[in-house]
Amino acid sequence: MTEAELAQRKIRKYLRTLAIALRGFSARGICGEQVRDIVAELESHIADKTADDVTLARVEAVLAELGKPEDLASLYLTEDLQTRALASRSPLLVLHSLFRWASLSFAGFFALLGSLCSYFLSLAFIACALLKPIHPATAGLWSIPETSGPSFSLRMGFSGAPPGATELLGWSIIPIGLIAGFALFFLTTQSGLWSIRRLRHARPPIG
Amino acid sequence: MTILRGLPEAADNWEVQVRKGSLELAILAALWSGELYGLEILHRLAESCALTVPEGTIYPLLSRLKAEGLVSSEWVEADTGHPRKYYKLTASGRRRGAQMAKFWTTFSANLEGLLEPLRKEGR
Repeated sequence: MTEAELAQRKIRKYLRTLAIALRGFSARGICGEQVRDIVAELESHIADKTADDVTLARVEAVLAELGKPEDLASLYLTEDLQTRALASRSPLLVLHSLFRWASLSFAGFFALLGSLCSYFLSLAFIACALLKPIHPATAGLWSIPETSGPSFSLRMGFSGAPPGATELLGWSIIPIGLIAGFALFFLTTQSGLWSIRRLRHARPPIG
Repeated sequence: MTILRGLPEAADNWEVQVRKGSLELAILAALWSGELYGLEILHRLAESCALTVPEGTIYPLLSRLKAEGLVSSEWVEADTGHPRKYYKLTASGRRRGAQMAKFWTTFSANLEGLLEPLRKEGR
């Protein structure tokens, strides 16, 4: 096998790995046509860079400048997810983007953790408000006396009221729970979008 | 002492952040006078403003600018024997580029006054 053939094989292997990595993300937004377009663009880039020197060393240098195909695919996915999350403002896409960020840094991990807790609390408030008419005696916000000071429990009413506990809001949990729940849900989404914008400005790396 | 040791690193980090923040504007500016393909954009950025971008990062970024409707692209057959994907600004991209350039000009002009004493001190 000649050096030119080895070089071509190297390029094909790189592009094939890139396509496989991108197709792995296809269920998350990057469609088959986009994958073909991305691979064709990278193929064109490599052809331009190696037009006057198709040696194995040159091809390896060009591929190294592009980075690992898996990392490149990951970069495409991250950009795609962020764009869709910012455009749609969908909480699911926001969480998905934060999940990507969490896999890249500690800051992302804490942003994801904070958002998950906040979404959970907001849904708990909404559920509590909606279940109050069904379980009026037990659903609500309860203060439970403890030796170290009172603790608070948001109950949906599926189990009995905690012993010795005092209900704090009564029927007011319905408007308060709905307002607090939706407000917290909205604020969590906004803060997630803000985090995604921050992430976007933190990349890509530049020499 | 710790603070002094950290200064060059902090300055490097600051430079990188400034470059990152200006990359989108630089790409829109590079495309202002006409359509270019990815490698040409990389060359334009390196030659015009010494903005060296790792090659693997420019394409996902262009893909994002396209998804945001700031640029459009089309495949063009080249004399080299392989097609190239050319990017050009959309009307929305031109508006965004003009807005960003205006902000950049105003911001840097305002900063100039503050920087003058620092330059004199540094001479």
